[in-house]
Amino acid sequence: MRIFGSALVSLLVLAGKVLAKSSSGDSVLVLLDPSLDKADYSIFFSGLEKRGYDLTFRAPKDTSPVISEYDVPNYSHVILFTPDTKTYASDITPQSLVGLLSENTNLLIALSPKQTPLTSLATEFSLIPPPPGTPLVSHHPKRPEPATVIPVPVSSSPILTAGTPPVWFSGAPHALGNSPYLVPILRAPAESFAADSTEDSGADAIIEAADKGGEGLWAGSQMSLVTGFQTTKNSRVVFAGGVELFSDEYARKELPSGTPSGNAQFARDIAAWVLQETLTLRIDSTEHHRVNETLAPEMYTINDQIVYTAHISSYDRRTSTWKPYSGITDMQLEFTMLDPHVRIALPPVAGEPGKYEVQFRAPDRHGVFKFVVGWRRNGYSFLHTSTTVPVVPPRHDEYPRFLSAAWPYYAGAISTSAGFFLFAALWLAGDVKGEKKNLKGAKSE
Amino acid sequence: MIPRFTFHLSWLLLAAYVHAASLSLQSPRFTITSSDATQLRSDTLSLTKKPEPLTLSASDTLKLTFQVTESGEGKGVQPHQTFLRFYDSVSGEEGIQPVRVTPGGKAKFELNMARPPASLPPTSDRPLTVSLILGSYVHEPAKYDLFDLYVPASSTSASHPDAALFQELPTIVHTFRPEQKLPPKFVSAVFAALVLSPWAVLLSLWAKVGVSVPHLLSLRIFPFTLLLGAFEGLLFWYWVDLKLGQVLLYGGILAVPTVFAGKTALATTGKWRAGKH
Repeated sequence: MRIFGSALVSLLVLAGKVLAKSSSGDSVLVLLDPSLDKADYSIFFSGLEKRGYDLTFRAPKDTSPVISEYDVPNYSHVILFTPDTKTYASDITPQSLVGLLSENTNLLIALSPKQTPLTSLATEFSLIPPPPGTPLVSHHPKRPEPATVIPVPVSSSPILTAGTPPVWFSGAPHALGNSPYLVPILRAPAESFAADSTEDSGADAIIEAADKGGEGLWAGSQMSLVTGFQTTKNSRVVFAGGVELFSDEYARKELPSGTPSGNAQFARDIAAWVLQETLTLRIDSTEHHRVNETLAPEMYTINDQIVYTAHISSYDRRTSTWKPYSGITDMQLEFTMLDPHVRIALPPVAGEPGKYEVQFRAPDRHGVFKFVVGWRRNGYSFLHTSTTVPVVPPRHDEYPRFLSAAWPYYAGAISTSAGFFLFAALWLAGDVKGEKKNLKGAKSE
Repeated sequence: MIPRFTFHLSWLLLAAYVHAASLSLQSPRFTITSSDATQLRSDTLSLTKKPEPLTLSASDTLKLTFQVTESGEGKGVQPHQTFLRFYDSVSGEEGIQPVRVTPGGKAKFELNMARPPASLPPTSDRPLTVSLILGSYVHEPAKYDLFDLYVPASSTSASHPDAALFQELPTIVHTFRPEQKLPPKFVSAVFAALVLSPWAVLLSLWAKVGVSVPHLLSLRIFPFTLLLGAFEGLLFWYWVDLKLGQVLLYGGILAVPTVFAGKTALATTGKWRAGKH
């Protein structure tokens, strides 16, 4: 009986581990600074393990386990909690990290006010870090914590749970470039700024830095503290301005208003986004055919009525499966030959989840066309598909026949045929009038 | 337990002694002057009620003066953070401008629209809310909403070339060639009737003269007539529906009995002409 009970428990635990995993793999390599203690981040890491991820811990200077061998990544995701490390082992360089992203590995990177190789990596992603040694400081709201530990209100975003309480943050902000691939997740409060002074007399230094620096002052809500970046291969990387955001201490700390902080929930949400659990979409299949047919023809004729269908599903983290998704309202289909000839909306079909369909008329130019669906929205996976089809002019027997302008000609030709038949019939059927010496006798008509 | 209790109690006592004074603003004034130094507007700012929105044209200058003091004692202080925040609540654009404050707490800020500072955010025809943020390590912080400001609209900044892909692109509708126009059906009908008019003449003349077809249903020539009609029918069917291969096949099949029937029919008429009748 006890064996049954324990078997049941272990089955349930296993089932719990199987639920809510990433859509792209479960192995995670965590690079942890030697100065950081794994136990200080136990809420975050045990949360990941409970969701079914295999975490492997490693120090930045260790030579094994390597992150990729012969250009094949060994892990599906890499978390870099190494804000203070200035030198890494030889397999971790900014180039190798970007190479990981090209191989569909996701990264979660914690930055810090210090200048590290990760700071220069961040600039490659259109993030503009402040001068080294200037952490984020905010005197508002009034609180017993030092000015570098700041409660940041969480604005609504499809990545985050609605109603997340403000989170504690300490670290460096960064300004955002104008790349549309950036996904700002947590903005700095309007009253915060980056400064290295710890006394009021540092005010003059701030003014001088603002006047001198090309970027001005890193201040205000245009700064971002946690920013995501989604590459065109749909791999995701999140740059967090400080690693304490994920720590147990901040998760347990109470806000100045007395309510618990939202750090644990926030860390879970950004981990879910980076590890490809949420806002992950894919195109399952596409079909195209003429209106009253079901199979795709080898080629279309100009002016054909064509029906194009796409099936899209999104990853459901609760059941770890891909489910049909009809929530995209602004997808567009382009029928392109060098330039789009037709661009129309591809709406979801009511009653059939995941199916998007549209009917349109092929242009009256012939050539090799492509059905292109490209959908990019901030935070969501990018969808792209392209199907090439030839469009040919009508064959000799596909032109309109029996035109009204040809009625006289039809009448003439049919008359000729009828006349011939009638003549032959009447001649054969006619009477031979008498016998004549010349056989060219009178023949009846 | 007891030592920890007294430890916490000592902190409470210390906190009771330290009462951080908060920062406050004294005599805030603003002045708007135009490019030829005429004063357009000048007023003190009330900290409880926002004045009418200020408007700056492209060559005006806004001067703002105030003094930061400790509330209660009125002594001027230089706080760590004295920032003016320009914020457009609809677009979310924000600009932070630090203001230089003397150790005695006096501050002066000048905004010349002919040479706007880099901290002024991109603007449109909406007003910017201007607020003052004061922060200090030793005093309680303070925030004041000063006024609304209209400035000339800025030109839009260059966007990333891929930014257009992240939005719905305009619909493209292909312009088709117009359908080929046919002449009116009435004209075609009239000419078709014209083509068929000789039949009318023939039929009327036949009605007058009379057609004698005594051998029409004779068993020797009727099959040939029928097969000839079938050939005409096949030709019509080819025009409407069939393909060349099919019509050749059917025609070939039909040709075999037609040959025999034709020979019979011709022989019969030949015999009739040769003298049977």
